Amino acid sequence: MRILIVDDSTTMRRIIGNVVQQLGVAKDDYDEAEDGVVAWKLFQENNNYDVVLTDWNMPNMNGLELVKTIRGADKKVPIVMITTEGGKGEVITALKAGVNNYIVKPFSADILKEKLDGLVKG
Amino acid sequence: MSMSQEEIEALMNGADFEPEESVEEAQSDDLAESIEEENFDDILAGIEGISDDEPVEEENFDDILAGIDGISDDEPDATVAAEEENFDDILAGIDGISDDQPSKEEPKVVKSDEKSVDNENDKKYPLPVENEHKVVNQLNEVAEDSEEKASQIFDVLSFILDENNEIQKYNKDMGLFVEKQIVLLESLGTKFPNISIFSENLQLAKNALSESKQLSNKVDGENNIVFEAMELMQYHDINRQKIERVMSVIRSLSTYLNGIFEDDSDKPTVQIAKHISGDGTSTVGSDDLEALISQFANEG
Repeated sequence: MRILIVDDSTTMRRIIGNVVQQLGVAKDDYDEAEDGVVAWKLFQENNNYDVVLTDWNMPNMNGLELVKTIRGADKKVPIVMITTEGGKGEVITALKAGVNNYIVKPFSADILKEKLDGLVKG
Repeated sequence: MSMSQEEIEALMNGADFEPEESVEEAQSDDLAESIEEENFDDILAGIEGISDDEPVEEENFDDILAGIDGISDDEPDATVAAEEENFDDILAGIDGISDDQPSKEEPKVVKSDEKSVDNENDKKYPLPVENEHKVVNQLNEVAEDSEEKASQIFDVLSFILDENNEIQKYNKDMGLFVEKQIVLLESLGTKFPNISIFSENLQLAKNALSESKQLSNKVDGENNIVFEAMELMQYHDINRQKIERVMSVIRSLSTYLNGIFEDDSDKPTVQIAKHISGDGTSTVGSDDLEALISQFANEG
């Protein structure tokens, strides 16, 4: 499974990377991006991601804009928003923009596993 | 209000999508802007001394002046006390009366009165603010430093995990070896029941295998603790975002206050008086003044 992890915090990218490794994803099977601009560039270059895990608040291009950009290009790749934004309004906004699932930080490895399993099986 | 994971699940399952345009719009806007529009009155209300309702009281000017470098009530006291001792010092303490001649090394070229007054005031007020004293800069440094340290902590945790994986690998190899030894010793013990060394070593091997399993469990438990620590490090990112929120508020407040105190008029800056009647004991009385003038006249 190819995964794109997008977060402006190095620590968060490493945490998420660690969790996906626990789930059996090899280190070479996921890429990291520090903002939406880099993520979109990687997305266009590789175009083989099975899942995108993105933060919301990031510099240059935020996660919501990234989701809209990906969906605007008619990409059906599953997207999970992993963010500190825990308001109902934000969740609805993200879902409307096209995210498939939503995780509020802090999260446990089990939650991410559950969501990823659901996306892969679904 | 933050949503729990269960509530998010409910939303995922197609629960109510109420039209919340305001929320949506607010999200798309910059946080700083939203704060700027809505909360400035509250923010200003929280700042001591700034109020829409009441004019600043006259009594407070003493306090304000006391806080400004270069305006002091103490200096003139000394002037009065030393009245009879040092006439030059007294003169130096009175604005506008000075014996000082312009230094030859540093001639003061005054192009216009207006400009010199501006420069003089600029030197004193406000006090110079260096980059390291700027609050937003400091917060930014804290956030960046914290990120760096968190990354280093993560390196340590990753190292522990890697080492534990190595330990598990060695332990597994040893366990496999011991299991084979147990099979061998059982076979030997069956064939040679009278030789006690086989049965004794069989028991030792079984104990070693049991300890190997315990070691494996302990390492697994330690790994779980490390994973928990890694999960807890998410709070670093959460706290960083809280700091960024404070920075945003400060930036907005700074912009707003700059707007409030900005002087759009073309009126030239006037040099402010240092000692004004009513300030307290800082001003020279009429008798003292006359005495000084006459003494100055005598000396001249």
